[in-house]
Amino acid sequence: MSNKIIAVAGPLGAGKTTWICQNFMLQAPESMLYFCPGTDSVPIDSTYMAAEYPGVQILAEGQDMERLKHVSGSETVYVEIGFHLQLSSLEAVLTSLPCTRIAILPPGMEQTEWHAWADTIAVGAASQAMLNPSQLWRSPLTGQVLDPASLDMFWYELTKGAYGQVQRAKGIFDLTDGRAFHFNFVAGLLQMETTELKLPRWLKGRPDRFSGIEVVGENLDQSAIAQTLKDCGLEDRAIAYYQQQVKDVLASGAEAA
Amino acid sequence: MKIAVISCIHGNYEALNVVLSDIDNQKADKIYCLGDLVGYGPHPNAVVEMIRALDIPTCQGCWDEDIVEGLNACECSYPSLLAEKRGKLAHEWTNQTIHPEGREYLAQLPLSLRDNNLCFVHGSPHNQHEYLMPEVDAFVAMERVLATGADILFCGHTHVPYVRSLDAGQLQIRLKLTDKSEKDMRFSAPLKRIVNAGSVGEPRHGRPNATYVIYDVDTDQITLREVEYDYQKTCAAIVENGLPPIFAWRLARGLEFAERADDPTHVCER
Repeated sequence: MSNKIIAVAGPLGAGKTTWICQNFMLQAPESMLYFCPGTDSVPIDSTYMAAEYPGVQILAEGQDMERLKHVSGSETVYVEIGFHLQLSSLEAVLTSLPCTRIAILPPGMEQTEWHAWADTIAVGAASQAMLNPSQLWRSPLTGQVLDPASLDMFWYELTKGAYGQVQRAKGIFDLTDGRAFHFNFVAGLLQMETTELKLPRWLKGRPDRFSGIEVVGENLDQSAIAQTLKDCGLEDRAIAYYQQQVKDVLASGAEAA
Repeated sequence: MKIAVISCIHGNYEALNVVLSDIDNQKADKIYCLGDLVGYGPHPNAVVEMIRALDIPTCQGCWDEDIVEGLNACECSYPSLLAEKRGKLAHEWTNQTIHPEGREYLAQLPLSLRDNNLCFVHGSPHNQHEYLMPEVDAFVAMERVLATGADILFCGHTHVPYVRSLDAGQLQIRLKLTDKSEKDMRFSAPLKRIVNAGSVGEPRHGRPNATYVIYDVDTDQITLREVEYDYQKTCAAIVENGLPPIFAWRLARGLEFAERADDPTHVCER
C-alpha cells in the first residue's frame, strides 16, 4: 500500500485489531505507528499493541493530529476507528491526508455504512455481536492486582451473561505473579482469547502501569461488574506476600542455573 | 429396604420439598442427610425445621459447623478470593437469619452416622471440609473408606454426585523393624465404594436440578436421582432476601465454585 495512513474501521468484534497486527508482522516495526482514538483513560488496544509490538510507535490521544500530518516517507500509520465512533468524526483528518480506508466486516455483511466509507473490504471474524449495542462501560484498573482464580470466575460470569448481555469484552489485568494478561471476548466466537503480555513481571507493590476493562452490551449491571472486579483484587499485604514468593522462586531458579 | 441419602440442601426449601416428594414416590424406607442444611440459600430456618420435624438422621456439614462455631474453614475451602468473599457474605446473612433453636439443632449434629456396613459423612470421615472428589487418588480414597470400617461411604460436599468402586486394590507396605531388618507385606483390599449424593439445594453438575441417591440394601443397587424443581422461586427468594444476585444466577445454571479450584483434589490436613 502506497498511502501512509491506513484507517481501519468495522463493527464490534470483526477483527480490526487482529488485521492490523497481521500487517505489523509483515513490515519493520520501527516504520509503523498505531493510533486508536476515543479510548479516553482506558487504552486497552494501544497498551496491547505496545506490549506485543514494542518497535511500533503508539500515538497517545492528543498527539495524534500533528503527528499524522508529519508522517515521514518511510512510515505507515494505522488508525483504528472503534465501533463507537462515528465514521464521519475523523473525516476532516482523513480527507486531508493520503489515506487508505479498510473496513473489516464479518462474512456475509452487505450494504452497510462501512461499504460506502471503505476503499477496500476485508472479511474478518464471524462476530455475532450486535451492530449498535446501547452500552459501553470502561474502567481503568491501574494499581489493582487480581487473584487469577477469581478473575477466571468473574470472566466466565461476565461472558455468560451474569451482569447483562455482553457483546464484547476486553481487558488487561495484572495478576498476583506479576504477569499481565490480555482478555478478549466477542459474542458468537467460540474461542475466548487470553494472552500473556510481553511485559516484565511487576514485583514491586501495586503496578504503576495501565490495566483496565471495556465491556459492551445491553442491560449491563455496571456497579455489579465494578464491585466484582474489586472483590477479585488483593490487599497490599497479600500482594507483597505473593510477590515475595515469586521473587524467591525466580532467585532460586537463577541460582540453580 | 431402600435408603435415600440427601446432602447439601443449603437453605433451598423448594428443592428439599420436591426431593422429599420424589423420595416418597421411590418408596424409600429411610432417609439420611449428610448436612449443609444452611448457607447460600434463602430459607435456612424452614429447611432446618423440616429436617427436624421429619426426624431425619443428619450429620453435620461444614456450613452447619461454621454457623455454630464461626467461620472455621481452612484456606482450601474456597477456590478463589472471590468465592471466599461471597462465602463470607452468605455466612453473615445466614448467621443473622438462623433462629436460636436452629443453631442449637445444628450444634448437636454428629460428624458421622452408621447403619450396619454403611457410613454417612458430609465431606470425609476426617473432616467436614475435606473434598472427596471423584478423581482423588485411589489410595487416599481407600484410606478414607477403610478408616470408617464400612463397605460404603456416603458423602456430599462436592455437590456433584458420583459412585466410585474401589476394587482389586493392592496395598504394599514395608515395615522397618527395630532390629533394622525390613519386611514387605501385601494386602488385597476388599470391594469398597464411595457414593456422593450430590446436592439438593445447590447443584454443581451444570443443570439446576436437585440430586440425591437411593440405595437398595437388598439388591445392592445405587441410583443417582436428578429431580426438577421450580428453581426460579428460590432464585427470586435469594434476591428478595438481599443475598447476592450472583447466587441466583449460578443456581439457575447448576454452577458452583469447587470445580474451579486450582487443586480441587487437595486433601485437607487441618
